[in-house]
Amino acid sequence: MLDEKPEALLKRAIRGDEEAFLTLYQKHQSALYRYALRMTGSAWAAEEVVQEVFLVLIREPRKYQAERGELGAFLYGVARNRVMKHLEKTPRELSLDVMNADGSAWYEPEDPLTPMMIAEKRERIEQVREAVLELPAEFREAVVLCELEEMSYEEAASACGCPIGTIRSRLHRGRALLLAKLELLRDAPRRASAGAK
Amino acid sequence: MLRAEPAREPSSLRTARKVVAMMNCEEFELRGLDLDRADADPQEAAAAAKHAEICGRCSAMLESWREVKCDLRLLRESTRLDSAPARVEMRLKQELRTRREARVPRGPVVVASWALAAAAVLVASVGWLQTHHKAGQPGVSSSNAGMTGNTSQKTSNGDDAEMLLADSDSASFTQLPGSLPSASGYESVLEVRMQRGALERFGLPVDPDRASEFVNVDFLVGEDGQPQAVRLHQDSQIATAMQ
Repeated sequence: MLDEKPEALLKRAIRGDEEAFLTLYQKHQSALYRYALRMTGSAWAAEEVVQEVFLVLIREPRKYQAERGELGAFLYGVARNRVMKHLEKTPRELSLDVMNADGSAWYEPEDPLTPMMIAEKRERIEQVREAVLELPAEFREAVVLCELEEMSYEEAASACGCPIGTIRSRLHRGRALLLAKLELLRDAPRRASAGAK
Repeated sequence: MLRAEPAREPSSLRTARKVVAMMNCEEFELRGLDLDRADADPQEAAAAAKHAEICGRCSAMLESWREVKCDLRLLRESTRLDSAPARVEMRLKQELRTRREARVPRGPVVVASWALAAAAVLVASVGWLQTHHKAGQPGVSSSNAGMTGNTSQKTSNGDDAEMLLADSDSASFTQLPGSLPSASGYESVLEVRMQRGALERFGLPVDPDRASEFVNVDFLVGEDGQPQAVRLHQDSQIATAMQ
C-alpha cells in the first residue's frame, strides 16, 4: 500500500477506507507536525494544526486537485494557512524546558559525550530554537523549510505557494537575522568573560 | 609557416570562470551561503568559494554560518522523531468512521422497515386466524389483528364474543389472482394498513409512483388462512391503485 499513488490512496480514503487514510496520515503527519511546532513553538498548536489539516482532507477532499501539485504540497499549504492564522491571533509561546514538544524525553543522539558537553549542546540547541522562533514568520518559514526540513527551494516554494526567488530572498533575510541573533547571544558570555579579566 | 592555434575553452567553462571572477561581497551575501547546499548551482558555489578565499569579511561570515548550520543540524536531529500524538490519529479515525456511517442511505432503509413491519403484521394476523380456526372455537374474540388491523362481526347467536367472519358485502372484494372463491362462507375480513407496493406480492398491479403510499386494505382470508380477495378502503382510492 505504501507504493500506491497518493491520489489512489486518497480516493479510497474518501470512500471510507481507514487503512488508506492511515497510510496517508502516517506518511505526512510527522513532517507537518514538526513544521507547525517549529513555526508556532507550541505543541498544542502543532497538534491542532495537524488535526485540522487531515480533517480538511476528510471533509473537503475535493479541495485537493492532483493536477495542481502533489498531495504533500497541498497539505503543507493547508498547514501553513492554519499556522499563519494561529500566529496572527496568538502571541508566540516559548517552551522553557528542554523536553520534546509532545512531553517525551529529550532525544539525545547516542554519541559519547561528557555531561558538560551534553549540557553545552542542549544550550546551543535551545539558543538556535529560540532564535528561529523569534524570526518574523515569513523568514522563519523559509528557514524551517529549507534548513530544518531540508527542502529544496522548489519544494519550499511549492509548499508556500510563492516563486523560488521569493523563497531565496526570505531565506537570505532569515539567515542574516539568525546569524546576528546567535552571534549576539554567543558573544555576550565571551564579552562578559573578557570584561572579568 | 603554419602556427598551431591555441585550443579553445568549452563555453561552459568560460562562463564558470566569468561567474567566479564576477562574484563580489554583495552577491556573496545573497548566494554565497548556499555553498554547502545539495541543490546549489555548482558554478555559483565555486564562485562563492573562490570569493571567500580572497575576502576576509565574507570568509568570516561563511564560517559563522557554518557554525549556525551545525546548530541547526543539532536542532533537527533532536526533533527528528517528533510527531503528532496518537490521540490525533484516534480523533481522525473517529471522524472518518462517523462520516462513513452517515453516508449510508436512509431512505431505502425507512421504506424497507415499514414494508417489513406491514408484512409482519399481515403474517401475524393470518397465523393467528389460522390457529384460531383450527382450534374450532368460532366464538373466541379477536380484538386486534395488528397495529391498525381490526375487524369483527358478532355471531349469529347474539353472543358478545366477536368473530372474524366475512363481510356479507363480499361482492366488493377483488379476487386475488390464483385464488378460488371459498364455498364454505367461513372467511374472515382482516383490515391492514400497508404500503400500496406490498399489494404487488399478491399479484395485483400497482402504480410504481405511488408504491410507497400507505393504504387501508381489507383482506378476505379463507378458512385455510390464505388471503383470497382484497378490498381497498374508499379513502385509499382503490380505483387508481388497482389500475
